[in-house]
Amino acid sequence: MFKFIKKADIVLFFVLLAFGIGLSALSLFTGTSGQKVQIEVNGQPYAVYSLAENQTIEITEHGHTNKITIKDGAVQMSYSDCKNQICVNDGQISKTNQSIVCLPNKVMVEITGGEEEFDAISN
Amino acid sequence: MPSQTNRSGHNRRTQKTRLLAIGAMFACLALIFSYIEAIIPFNAGIPGVKLGIANLVVIIALYNMGPKYAFTINCIRILVAGLLFNGAFGAVYSLAGGVLSFLVMWGLKKTNLFSMAGVSMAGGVAHNMGQLFVASAIVSNLKMFLYFPVLMFSGLASGIMIGVVACVIDSRVPKQLFR
Repeated sequence: MFKFIKKADIVLFFVLLAFGIGLSALSLFTGTSGQKVQIEVNGQPYAVYSLAENQTIEITEHGHTNKITIKDGAVQMSYSDCKNQICVNDGQISKTNQSIVCLPNKVMVEITGGEEEFDAISN
Repeated sequence: MPSQTNRSGHNRRTQKTRLLAIGAMFACLALIFSYIEAIIPFNAGIPGVKLGIANLVVIIALYNMGPKYAFTINCIRILVAGLLFNGAFGAVYSLAGGVLSFLVMWGLKKTNLFSMAGVSMAGGVAHNMGQLFVASAIVSNLKMFLYFPVLMFSGLASGIMIGVVACVIDSRVPKQLFR
């Protein structure tokens, strides 16, 4: 049935697969639990909050509203007036290198801090 | 023999007209696929994960009508679909993905090493990559590439699926349609 598949296809498949697995391993294992929540709007730094403090932040920029909730060391986009609601469905993040992006509203929530800074010192 | 040259010239012209008509039909078909994709709730919860059934048409066109027609069909499809259902914002993403995936598919097809499934697989991955480039340019942050592995796997899976279907369809489509 699948006679039309050639050897090069299989090679390419495994190369892409290995590349994907490598990348996801990289992003999974390099993340440590972060300490700060960094918010960017329109590519510009907007504000930095502590992960330890429970609070809800409301951002209204360019006529768009996003609400970001920090609770028990995790952040989530609790409300967004964007159409696709992808950022709201993303759920909680708590590790460095993780981020929630709301593309329609150009709001990005990122976690920084944690052990990364110690690495910098030991280097 | 004037009648002979006249005849062959006539044939060439009818062939061109025929390709034009079929190209237009293909563009419509691709547009319909885009629409179907826009209305079916296939949303795995991960942004950018799509079936890409419109690519079916582009691949068939690439193999049977040549890169020029395939590229035009793809661009028309993306622009019109952008105006109709995805919004101009979505069209920018799609265009970047569409152009990149087309270039990759065309290049791989030219090497003659890959089957339709392989070409489509690489096209699916390239499409997602192109979209991510635009996304990271808009948010002006390279961290967007953390989404890349997810989109890569989804591109692989949907690309293979579409490629296999394209193979089956291509073997059934009467070839004299494009002559």
